[in-house]
Amino acid sequence: MPEASTTGSAAPRSLAEALRARDDAALVALLRARPDLLNPVPGDLTQLATRAGTRASVVRALDHLDRFALQTAEALAVAPDPCDVTTLETLLTGTRPAPAVGPADSTGAGAKAGAGAERTGGAAAPGDGAGPAGGEGPARGEGEGPAGGEAAGEGAFGSELVAEVRRALPGALATLRDQAVVWGDDRTLRLVRTARELLAPSPSRPSPTGLGPTVAEATAGMSPTRIQEIVAAAGLPATHDPVSAVAALTGLFTDPDRMSALLAQAPPEAHHVLARLVWGPPYGEVTPEPTAPVRWLRDRGLLLPASARTLVLPREVALHLRGGRAHRRIEPLAPPVVAAHTHRPEQVDANSAGQALAAVATVEELVGSWDQGGPPVLRAGGLSVRDLKRTAVALDVAEPVAAFWIELAYAAGLLASDGEADERYAPTPAYDDWVEAPPAQRWARLATAWLPATRTSGVVGEQDAKGRTLSALGPDLDRSAAPEVRRRVLELLAELPPGGAAETGSLLERLAWERPLRGTSELRARLARWTLAEAELLGVTGRGALAGVGRALLAGTDPAPLLAPLLPEPVDHVLLQADLTAVAPGPLRRPLAETLAVLADVESKGGATVYRFTPASVRRALDAGQAASDLHDFLAAHSITPVPQPLSYLIDDVARRHGHLRVGAASSYVRCDDDSVLGEILADKRSAGLGLRRLAPTVLAATVEPPALLDGLRAMGYAPAAESHTGDVLITRAGARRTPQRTPPVPVPEGPPVPDTTLLAAAVRAIRAGDVAATAVRREPAAAGAAAGAPAPGELPRTSAAETLATVQAAALTGSAVWIGYVNAEGAASQRVIAPVRVEGGFVTGYDHTADEVRTYALHRITGVAELAEDHL
Amino acid sequence: MNGPLIVQSDKTLLLEVDHELADAARRAIAPFAELERAPEHIHTYRVTPLGLWNARAAGHDAEQVVDALVEYSRYPVPHALLVDVAETMARYGRLTLSKHPVHGLVLTTTDRPVLEEILRSKRITPLVGARIDADTVAVHPSERGQIKQTLLKLGWPAEDLAGYVDGEAHPIDLAEDGWSLRPYQRQAVEGFWHGGSGVVVLPCGAGKTLVGAGAMAQAKATTLILVTNTVSARQWKHELVRRTSLTEDEIGEYSGTRKEIRPVTIATYQVLTTKRKGIYPHLELFDSRDWGLIVYDEVHLLPAPVFKFTADLQARRRLGLTATLVREDGRESDVFSLIGPKRFDAPWKEIEAQGYIAPADCVEVRVNLTESERLAYATAETEEKYRFCATTATKRKVTEALVRRHKGEQTLVIGQYIDQLDELGAHLDAPVIKGETSNAQREKLFDAFRQGEISVLVVSKVANFSIDLPEATVAIQVSGTFGSRQEEAQRLGRVLRPKADGHEARFYSVVARDTIDQDFAAHRQRFLAEQGYAYRIMDADELLAGEGDRSDG
Repeated sequence: MPEASTTGSAAPRSLAEALRARDDAALVALLRARPDLLNPVPGDLTQLATRAGTRASVVRALDHLDRFALQTAEALAVAPDPCDVTTLETLLTGTRPAPAVGPADSTGAGAKAGAGAERTGGAAAPGDGAGPAGGEGPARGEGEGPAGGEAAGEGAFGSELVAEVRRALPGALATLRDQAVVWGDDRTLRLVRTARELLAPSPSRPSPTGLGPTVAEATAGMSPTRIQEIVAAAGLPATHDPVSAVAALTGLFTDPDRMSALLAQAPPEAHHVLARLVWGPPYGEVTPEPTAPVRWLRDRGLLLPASARTLVLPREVALHLRGGRAHRRIEPLAPPVVAAHTHRPEQVDANSAGQALAAVATVEELVGSWDQGGPPVLRAGGLSVRDLKRTAVALDVAEPVAAFWIELAYAAGLLASDGEADERYAPTPAYDDWVEAPPAQRWARLATAWLPATRTSGVVGEQDAKGRTLSALGPDLDRSAAPEVRRRVLELLAELPPGGAAETGSLLERLAWERPLRGTSELRARLARWTLAEAELLGVTGRGALAGVGRALLAGTDPAPLLAPLLPEPVDHVLLQADLTAVAPGPLRRPLAETLAVLADVESKGGATVYRFTPASVRRALDAGQAASDLHDFLAAHSITPVPQPLSYLIDDVARRHGHLRVGAASSYVRCDDDSVLGEILADKRSAGLGLRRLAPTVLAATVEPPALLDGLRAMGYAPAAESHTGDVLITRAGARRTPQRTPPVPVPEGPPVPDTTLLAAAVRAIRAGDVAATAVRREPAAAGAAAGAPAPGELPRTSAAETLATVQAAALTGSAVWIGYVNAEGAASQRVIAPVRVEGGFVTGYDHTADEVRTYALHRITGVAELAEDHL
Repeated sequence: MNGPLIVQSDKTLLLEVDHELADAARRAIAPFAELERAPEHIHTYRVTPLGLWNARAAGHDAEQVVDALVEYSRYPVPHALLVDVAETMARYGRLTLSKHPVHGLVLTTTDRPVLEEILRSKRITPLVGARIDADTVAVHPSERGQIKQTLLKLGWPAEDLAGYVDGEAHPIDLAEDGWSLRPYQRQAVEGFWHGGSGVVVLPCGAGKTLVGAGAMAQAKATTLILVTNTVSARQWKHELVRRTSLTEDEIGEYSGTRKEIRPVTIATYQVLTTKRKGIYPHLELFDSRDWGLIVYDEVHLLPAPVFKFTADLQARRRLGLTATLVREDGRESDVFSLIGPKRFDAPWKEIEAQGYIAPADCVEVRVNLTESERLAYATAETEEKYRFCATTATKRKVTEALVRRHKGEQTLVIGQYIDQLDELGAHLDAPVIKGETSNAQREKLFDAFRQGEISVLVVSKVANFSIDLPEATVAIQVSGTFGSRQEEAQRLGRVLRPKADGHEARFYSVVARDTIDQDFAAHRQRFLAEQGYAYRIMDADELLAGEGDRSDG
């Protein structure tokens, strides 16, 4: 057991060593959990360990810890380094182990025994082994007065909770180890230094545990005289050595019995002071002439100066007052998500299908309404507030909901800015394909765009740090946490029994537990709320419960086949009524819907569509090239009821007047009283390019501009005179506007993507190989004299050319790997581990474990070669 | 998934009438949804906050509404709509008006924040008195109507449990000798009486007067009846004498000419709203007796000052009668809060199917303007355009042809413009009733028409309402008040009294083609078309040609 603190060959001395001892699966797990470590692939395990210790990476890793793992890490941060698991457990549960005196790690066996006793004794029942601890409880309660009372009242954890902590601790430690935040075995747990710095208290930033610095840290800059005074006041034997004085003081503070005795003498007000500081923040401001109770505490070192005007409660004292606990509340178990309602799954699916249909229709309506060129793009990007309002009114929804649909259509690549000089939003070419697809597939496209999207419509209308309003489709809407939260929310819903709708509060609590760090939790809660609302809007959930299609979406399978049978069959008929309306009692087949949409105005939408025929709408249909008889036939063919007479009349009435007046475009005209001259011109072949057309016996219209027409006529031998023109009418039918090919926005994920298994395996192999190259324990070169000696690690091996050739050839024969020093054409030296395959023509070809590929090396550039110890590949 | 109902996202409900469950669905949704259109195949209902609160007032809860929607719906009902229904209905009844033994009229809440919210409204502050406790505030008794109206506008309709005063008792009974109230009339009376106050919507000719009489017989108290004009007042009186135990002496007429105040008093809106020196001298009529019941005939025409005064009459029972609760001024919500919620409604076609109103054939006759008329029309001033096309000479020819076609049938020619009517009267050799015709003369002519002594009568808009001419079978409308939907319905109502031989009534609307007249006609017809009256369109040329053939043959 004592080898825990001595340097044994088995115990790792650094994170890199700890990593080296892991198997490939563990490394893969690490890289999977922290994919940022792979960018770029580290050369060897030392590099990997260094990178895993950088601040940015550790912050990210801590960010991803759940509450209990984080609490465990926090406890480790205030524990001695290294720390054994028993001490850690004590810090979490607060029950003092029997031999609590002195640094726990110095007596590994003792600690172990204590742990054993504790397990049998438990927190509540004072058994034999836990006698001193159990007996101390009441004594402390009496002696400490209000402060102790409060600390104890603050929830001496129930035995059930303690048991839960014990059960959960190995799991949390495994998580921390997997993530390489903690290394070392259970007796020598070490928190990565950066993590310790982040989580441990410092004068500027109290720790999340609310604990202050240790006595040793707090007294670091203190004058020896002052320390002497404190030691004396605390009733300890005087010593002139500051170090031993501090140790004595620490010893006093960590001895429960003596501490209780000391605190029993404190004036009652002092207990109030301590009670205020015990759960943090541990700092208190004082006047230069503090009150008597504070002075009493300060004199005995129970409060130590942190700066000129602040005092700090040393960690040991706080821990004593807290009953040894690092945390006020400990949450070893994830809070369960509670179902608020449970609906029948069929009902959920039906509701989700209804909503899915509405979602598809809404997006179609939205993007379709921008068919002729949508609202302009703001100079800073995005949609103006007014356009958003207008869209909301048009869709008959609230603005945030309108923003959601717009962003959804954008994420699905259905609309984009057209990139013209006066930039506008318009449907993309992809929209035309989308609109033709069956509804279920259209929905699937929307839903699969929604799930991983990082753009969040929820923040639209809010202001960013610079006070600019965030606009829909505008910049800065990406929230990298969104996809993860979205997925997690759906997963939690999926864990409920089928048809269960989560109680929002419990869901948010669970999410907060899983990712407790303060900086992000508020955004995450909002994201979760938005997810619930959006999922309902989209039909991923129905009445708050995850629908079948939602599960499919989550599992990554195509939800369309699940959805399709739930959607109403398209109908191919309408009911015509005498009040000039037509009702389509279900979704219409596309061509029918398109024709009707031209012929009549849509009055009401939903499961059915109500159309109203008006003179204007009929005229629109006639303008679109339909003849009155076509319309009659169309209605007769698609109506299952007789066409009402007023409707036929309406069509005939409008048709009668339609086209009575004709309007066209001409650029110039030719007028001549003598119509035979005009006939001549028309008959003349040379006039073909002028685009002449006879409008009346004495008038020709031309498509060319007047100057060209004049020239043309003169060329034909006429002598035309120009007329002062009265401005010509130019009517162009607006074409449907489309953007150029556009790709939908790429989600901006949080950090690099999680690599797949193949990549991970390759990466681990590469790191491993690099590591072998850097640290390989090499056999003595076969024929190398003692003079050459083994090269120190990191040095290039040196062998003669003949030796090199022989070793390499031997390796090629046996198929074993060798370690070579190599200088490339640029003169850069490197070490590589290669498995030679063949040696010929002055080159050795082999599998390079470092580069993970087959390479060829010139023999004359190999500076030396060494065989590898057997166990290294 | 095969119900008769389709719930639309804009809160309209489409009911397929030929579906086997259509009747059950109609009954289920009737309490909370307003019938908006009832054409032949698909009826449209609309779910409005007013309708939902009506349902709450009638004792239905949100669960029932949601169940009705979900049960009969063909497609999944949008979740948002269900939530909205529940939320809207939950707003009703958070506030109640009631009588407190000590403090008099009080407004109580079951949801304190709501009370706090409304008390912060500037519009509520002048209407309430002292705060009695956290959940109760005193209300000035005179502001009972005002506060209800305002609360409705704020979206927190109050449930009025303060009850009604009985008023001065007066014995009134129905004299059901040889006749009795029709089932729907009885339902209407019961619905009204049960609810305390409210509006009964029945088609023209369906016997609204009898609903009023029935309500009076229930109340057995002094009654004030408000009607649109003097002729209508006389008819009410006549009808009441005939149908109830009341005698002529018990019924007073309060109009421009007579100012009688009797146990049952019939007053015209016109006299009530006469303004002298900035005040309404006749509004004190409301206070002149301790009325137990106030009947508002043609409640859709209720003028604004009467609204204002009605607000002060909330302690009295109020019955509104109308054929169409369509107000062109959109004050339906005032009718809801001041008169009361709709207590009974029956689609026209349903009453027709029961045989209580005559089936009607509605025909729109399209008249072509002559070339010179078209030119004149094109150059007419905008404000003159309607008058010009509505009174075109061609219409006269067509009208004459129509009258000839229905020779021997009791025919009404209805128009807007006096010149046109005078001219028509001269050509048709028929008497003309217009604004300046004395009441005595009107009564005389109407009597002669009822007796069949005159078969053609030319009337102006004075005859739009409440003129009981049971024998009229043909109505020819030559011009109207622009696009008024309710006028069209009222005019159709003139010919809907069931005929002795059960034959169908005819309603012609003569319209000048390709003019603004046609646009207005389309708008006017909308209400009836939505009630299921399908207009046939006929060309005047066809009609005149047919005429020619007939005279030839």
